Amino acid sequence: MAPPPTKPPAPINYKLLLIGNSSVGKSSLLLRFSDEQWLPEDESSATIGVDFRVHKMEVKGKKVKLSIWDTAGQERFRTITSSYYRGAQGVILVYDVSNRESFDALPRWYSELEASLSDKVVKILVGNKVDKEFSRQVSTAEAEAYAARMNSLFVEASAKTAANVKEAFTQCVERIMDQPELWETPAGTGAAISSNVKMPGGNINLAEDSQEGGGGCSC
Amino acid sequence: MTSDLPYAADAEVSLSYDELEVLRLQYQKELSQGYVTVQSKFNYAWGLVKAPIRQNQVEGVRLLQGLVCFAHQLPPIDICLELYRAEPTRRRECLYYLALGHYKMGNFEEAKKFNALLLDKEPTNMQAISLGQLIDKGVAREGYIGMALVGGAAAIGTLLVAGLIRRATRK
Repeated sequence: MAPPPTKPPAPINYKLLLIGNSSVGKSSLLLRFSDEQWLPEDESSATIGVDFRVHKMEVKGKKVKLSIWDTAGQERFRTITSSYYRGAQGVILVYDVSNRESFDALPRWYSELEASLSDKVVKILVGNKVDKEFSRQVSTAEAEAYAARMNSLFVEASAKTAANVKEAFTQCVERIMDQPELWETPAGTGAAISSNVKMPGGNINLAEDSQEGGGGCSC
Repeated sequence: MTSDLPYAADAEVSLSYDELEVLRLQYQKELSQGYVTVQSKFNYAWGLVKAPIRQNQVEGVRLLQGLVCFAHQLPPIDICLELYRAEPTRRRECLYYLALGHYKMGNFEEAKKFNALLLDKEPTNMQAISLGQLIDKGVAREGYIGMALVGGAAAIGTLLVAGLIRRATRK
């Protein structure tokens, strides 16, 4: 079913995820990237569940249609947001360079990805808020080394000044294009609400229940 | 570079059967133990609202309405109190999913009401603004369908009358 040669090729569809602690600026990065806008802190609100944007761009001379899923970073949303992971080809992990805690939380985010997605999925670690250089708590060298260890791309950016924002998304997409196995086969068959994710508060564990209910779980 | 708006991802993406089962079992386990946590109730209601089946949406909205305590005389007062004490931010989440649930069910007036409560607190909330646009579109679509029905009925009526007149004049 080869298309007639005159017809322009359909855009390639990729699914990207934005994850990371709350208030690190995931939504701000997306807003800057897709609308070239910026909302000051007092006007922006924490994402509820998930937000979603479709963004079209050209990378390496090809039309690419990105669906970008911006998940809530808040702890209590953790269990339910992991259900949005499935089918993603790229993940943008965000921390705040002026917030040590958001960097220290990264191993947990990585392990959550591991539970839901193939390890071939492209990952990029983004240190946001470099405009707050004066209150930096995570050095570039440390984050860079960590990203390399986690087999991830790395960039420092600022949604506020727009520094490196487009680059972060573009780098991620370019890397996905270099890995045809990611999008030629149906990607990310992973379980969504993974059975090993602990519920907030620690008093509820879905693991017991998913053994009865999560028969189709591939985790 | 373009970006498409509005969009509420939660309106169209539903959970798989197994995923919803995990949330349902957790909720029912706690129910049978006599104490349901806000988190479990919220999670299950969220899964239900996202479902494509109307019956599930109705149940999800019912659970959320209990959580948000919109009408203060609603029965699960204990949960409401707990909700406000422990997690005042939970209110915005319930309002959003209530608006979304009502929108999916086609109850645009209710959807508007809950979305307005959220926008009242957070006028720049992009998700609520986006959902508001979807609701308005829904209202407009309903209006068109209404007009089309009226128009269609009028057309059929005209044809019938024309037919009758023709038959009458042939005699």
